[in-house]
Amino acid sequence: MYAVDSPTTPAHRAPVGPGANEPAPRRRKRRGKGDDVVLPWVLSGPALLLLAILLAYPVGRMLVLSFQKFELKELWTGATPKWVGFDNYTAVLSDSAFWSVVQRTVLFTAASVVLTVLLGLGVALLMRRVGRVVRMAMIIAMMFVWALPALVQAQVFKMMTDSDVGVLNYLIDKLPGVEFQNHSWFYTPTQGWIVITSCVVWAGIPFLAITLNAGLTQVPKELMEAATVDGANGWQSFRNITLPILKPLLVIVTTLSVIWNFGLFTQNWVMRDGKPEPEFQTLATYSYVQAFGQNKYGLGSAIAVLTVILLLGAMAVYIRQMFKIGEVD
Amino acid sequence: MKRKFAVAAALAATLVGTAACGGNSDDSSTSANGAVDGKGKTIKVWLMVDAQSGWKDVVDDASKRFTTATGANVTVEYQQWANVLTKLDASLAGTDVPDVVELGNTQFPKYVDAGAFGELDKKSFENSDTWLPGLSGACEADGKTYCVPYYAGARVLIYRKDLFEKAGVTTAPKTYDEFLADADKVAAGNKDSKFGAIYMPGRYWYAAMSWVKANGGDIAKKDGDKWAGALSSPESQAGLQKWVDLVKKYSKADVTKDESDQYLVFSQGNAGAFYGNGWEQGSAEEVRKDPNDPASALVPTKVKGKLAAAPMPGIPSLLGGSNVGVPLKSKNADLAAQWIKYFTDSTSMKGLVKASALPNATALLDAAASDNPKLAVGAEAAKNSWAVPASGKWADVEKANILQNMLSDILTGKKSLADATTAADEQIAKTLNG
Repeated sequence: MYAVDSPTTPAHRAPVGPGANEPAPRRRKRRGKGDDVVLPWVLSGPALLLLAILLAYPVGRMLVLSFQKFELKELWTGATPKWVGFDNYTAVLSDSAFWSVVQRTVLFTAASVVLTVLLGLGVALLMRRVGRVVRMAMIIAMMFVWALPALVQAQVFKMMTDSDVGVLNYLIDKLPGVEFQNHSWFYTPTQGWIVITSCVVWAGIPFLAITLNAGLTQVPKELMEAATVDGANGWQSFRNITLPILKPLLVIVTTLSVIWNFGLFTQNWVMRDGKPEPEFQTLATYSYVQAFGQNKYGLGSAIAVLTVILLLGAMAVYIRQMFKIGEVD
Repeated sequence: MKRKFAVAAALAATLVGTAACGGNSDDSSTSANGAVDGKGKTIKVWLMVDAQSGWKDVVDDASKRFTTATGANVTVEYQQWANVLTKLDASLAGTDVPDVVELGNTQFPKYVDAGAFGELDKKSFENSDTWLPGLSGACEADGKTYCVPYYAGARVLIYRKDLFEKAGVTTAPKTYDEFLADADKVAAGNKDSKFGAIYMPGRYWYAAMSWVKANGGDIAKKDGDKWAGALSSPESQAGLQKWVDLVKKYSKADVTKDESDQYLVFSQGNAGAFYGNGWEQGSAEEVRKDPNDPASALVPTKVKGKLAAAPMPGIPSLLGGSNVGVPLKSKNADLAAQWIKYFTDSTSMKGLVKASALPNATALLDAAASDNPKLAVGAEAAKNSWAVPASGKWADVEKANILQNMLSDILTGKKSLADATTAADEQIAKTLNG
């Protein structure tokens, strides 16, 4: 970002310079009419209303639920649920199973996001190097991956890694001297998570690659040329020109990936047949099993609230970056 | 503003609540006899997919007879085992509830306990005096009846006749030791690394618990008014050890899989025998050409015509099966009871027998065995069967996968058998007493 800022900013200010007083009176005039207070609210009103209905209500309900004892009886009879204060939270936070789920979710998120961003960036850089036709082919192929619902992706990976009829075992078994028939990929958590992570990373690359490719087109050719003339090698120009320009975009796609992967549900749920073993639980499946499997809706809500709080950290970075971009515009 | 809304919502909820109760305001049970005019009404029926793939004609025929008698229409919605309970929980919370619901016999007690189903007049259903106790037990509470047995299944040994004969075994094993000796012979004759003499997936808890029962063990026992897990008792551990030995010695099945696709895997021809429901023999021999279309043609598999069934010697079977009931909130309880009457009468049961499912009453078992020779083995096994602990919370033990996780822990070597059973006992006690 800063590499571009220095040459463009003065140029941008220059034409404004002569009429420097102009914006001030105009602004004053508008405020006099009062429409700059009302208009933005009118314009954003429908969107805000929708957000309030779709987000505020469920989140509010979840918060309330997390302080209540709400089980089947309350669900069916409409009996007023009992307020239990922080009981649900104490139960969750003092459960060692919860902490191992948190640890697993964080580990998975870190590993999958790092892999997705690195591979996505790699593909994006490759896309700048290849010809138009190949680039189009790459985009189309990635669009197909992107368009696949997560459920289908997970089902396909599940079938490919099936111990009895999976194509992966079949192919590996073809290698000379390798005995891989009936190999169970979910026998050890490590191998199972490798399968799940591969699926998530594979599905995450298209968004990253296409977005970052768009970002890369914004790198001015002149800068790269100048760098080459100055004797910078490929790595140096990538490190000092491309990366700084790409930084705001990278921050956004990374935080988005963190938010998405942190809520992993479909892939591990489907690959473990809707009955994940404790080693394959993430925060989302754990909360779902508690709420809907065990009909402890209050307890499940408490887990969901804790998940949101954990995610807030990541979201703060995202929101800050969004505001930063708004300022530049 | 906010308070006004809350008041309105509470008011609406109360109105809805009373309206829902209105349909069943009389205290007595719903009878399936007597004339009901259902003209212009439609009842919604939830059945499990097994009916769709196995005996859709029985469902259609019962609905037709019901419509002729009452004038009401029927919509049947087929449900998946994986999410039916979650779906049911959600719809019972609302007002648009199904009028008839099928649930597994191990799942029913929880819902009867929670008061989700309305009382039915037992006498108005055919064969109700000889209902299979393993099924009707799940329907009864405090001497009242809340659901009607629908069909049963008992698990049997399904084996490759051709491979057993090749190994010199011409009759089905009569004792457990004989069974193991036969498995040894079959294993000796098939050295392919993919071949396992017995296909036994690792998370198959119905099987593992049958071995526990065979050895005098139990899953849980009630002591006074408290449940205590019984899997770590010496008898249970010994039974479980026998099953683990069997899996390790003869099975090439994935220990992280359950039994849901065992007949498909078995139909690939890489195993000598498996332990399954009677109808799984048919499912292994023939599959639908298009699995998504239950009306498509049946095509033979590799094992077509090579299979035979026998009772698993020395191992009592868990009596599996389903019941149907009428949710308390149903607005058409009278009609729903009438539909159940037709769906569970002797005519419908004959259709089920033809499709190799066991009928719902002991009085029909012997006739079933002679009508459909394939059922003889299952009917025999049904007479020597066991049931899960009779607790309203048992379904939660199943949903939490406590037994499956225990089995994976043992088979993957994560925990010793003693540690895994002790841990499971704790979880089971916590769930059943919770």
